[in-house]
Amino acid sequence: MEAVLSVRNLSVRYGAIQALRGIDLDVFRGEIVSVIGANGAGKTTMMNAIMGDIPRAGGEILLNGKPLPDKSFRVACEKISISPEGRRVFAPLTVYENLQMGAFPLKDKKEIAEQLKEIYRLFPRLEERKKQYAGTLSGGEQQMLAIGRALMQKPEVLLLDEPSLGLAPIIISEIFKELKIINKELGTTILIVEQNAKKALQLSDRAYVLQTGKVIIEGKSSELLKNEEIQAAYLGVK
Amino acid sequence: MNIIQQIINGLSLGSVYALIAVGYSLVYSILLFSNFAHGGFLVIGGYICYYALISYGAGIWAASFAAVLGAGFSAILVERFAYRPIRERTPVTLYLLIASMGMSIVIENLFVVTIGGRFRALPPVLPMQPVSVFGFATTSAFDILSLVVSIVSLVALQLFLNRTKWGLAIRAASYNLRTASLMGVNVNRLIAIVFFVAGLFAAVGGIFLSARYTLYPQLGSTITTKAFVAAVIGGLGSLPGAIAGSLILGLAEMLTAGFVSSQFRDLVVFFLLIVTLIIRPSGLFGKAVSEKV
Repeated sequence: MEAVLSVRNLSVRYGAIQALRGIDLDVFRGEIVSVIGANGAGKTTMMNAIMGDIPRAGGEILLNGKPLPDKSFRVACEKISISPEGRRVFAPLTVYENLQMGAFPLKDKKEIAEQLKEIYRLFPRLEERKKQYAGTLSGGEQQMLAIGRALMQKPEVLLLDEPSLGLAPIIISEIFKELKIINKELGTTILIVEQNAKKALQLSDRAYVLQTGKVIIEGKSSELLKNEEIQAAYLGVK
Repeated sequence: MNIIQQIINGLSLGSVYALIAVGYSLVYSILLFSNFAHGGFLVIGGYICYYALISYGAGIWAASFAAVLGAGFSAILVERFAYRPIRERTPVTLYLLIASMGMSIVIENLFVVTIGGRFRALPPVLPMQPVSVFGFATTSAFDILSLVVSIVSLVALQLFLNRTKWGLAIRAASYNLRTASLMGVNVNRLIAIVFFVAGLFAAVGGIFLSARYTLYPQLGSTITTKAFVAAVIGGLGSLPGAIAGSLILGLAEMLTAGFVSSQFRDLVVFFLLIVTLIIRPSGLFGKAVSEKV
């Protein structure tokens, strides 16, 4: 099977500090893949490097076998998009305008209108609040908006950076349920980075464990959930 | 010297300031630095208009068109060669501020060196005759014209920002430039568009100011200071703020000139600035929506 997204020997530096040290990762079509790891392991750095939001020091990122460009606006015009860490919705714009921004790479107005309908179907809450400023939404709604905004350009691969950050457990469950639906119904391949390792492993098919800028374990999520080392380190089980 | 007449004159002058202040504010909202070379665009527009009228015998429409486009493209060039190299190397906006002061001096002196520093008056192509306003007051056709043109331009800008794809992108970028880039917006192109628009508007203002007063290389820096004050009073980076601040400034200047003394008008301008900074440092329309975490 051909990978939709392949990360090959990716490294990133912040000055003298090497944040990522040669990461290899594959995401196959239709999969949900999670990346877990402690604070500072390099999860967000990896996502930002894939999107071209920060410069990479080395390595390659392939989408459908084609190398991704290194400028973020060019990456975003490919069939890949991100719900970034901290959501980064445009607070002074309305929900509707935020979604329109997500559709920026699309040209066809009809296509945009159809996709908007699809997003409102997935997140009825966003339609109810379409005229509200994004800055006035609750944290959970902002996360839904960030996901909806990323989906507007009809990505084949959706990157999610810490979607559970700062949200109540009940809201987290709601959002993770929605991710499963997006994966099934829209056929969107998902790469998710999470501190909430248990939730992420329960959601995903496969997972990678990142430690100080390197992949230390990879495998099926169901197996990693049972792995004692992982239970002790990330799942809070003794 | 009745008050309605002074109010109309004040609004007319204020609306011309607004043309300059909105461009200035727009640039500030995206790049977070005060572009002190903004007045240079106004002077470039003024001189293009002047020479098109004098040397090429162009009509006022053709001359204005050339002036506005010329200033727009000059603004793009200034950004491309003076600011972009800095922006791509460092996120510190102080360097941009310093570069803009340098560019302001460069543009001013390019004119001094090439065509001299003397004051020039535009030929009488704009209507100046007195006009009666519903019998209440008398003002000049020029004041009415500059008021109308300014309003039309500002409405057009508002439509551009609210109804078009790039307008939306500009509003998004003024909140967060990097996130806009993550949405597929070519930030360099967006910044070029913003400078082009700022240049266009500065040139429209420049033509009216050179007709109202006279044209000279330092006109830009004098007016940039006013636009800066207007933008601060209204709230830096806010377009409605820039417009409100400009109108307040125009009114204050004209009412002072009409009822006190013309010599006091700049005193009043800076007094207003100081009062704003003491009472409400974020300005009238300082950023209202804050991010919820």
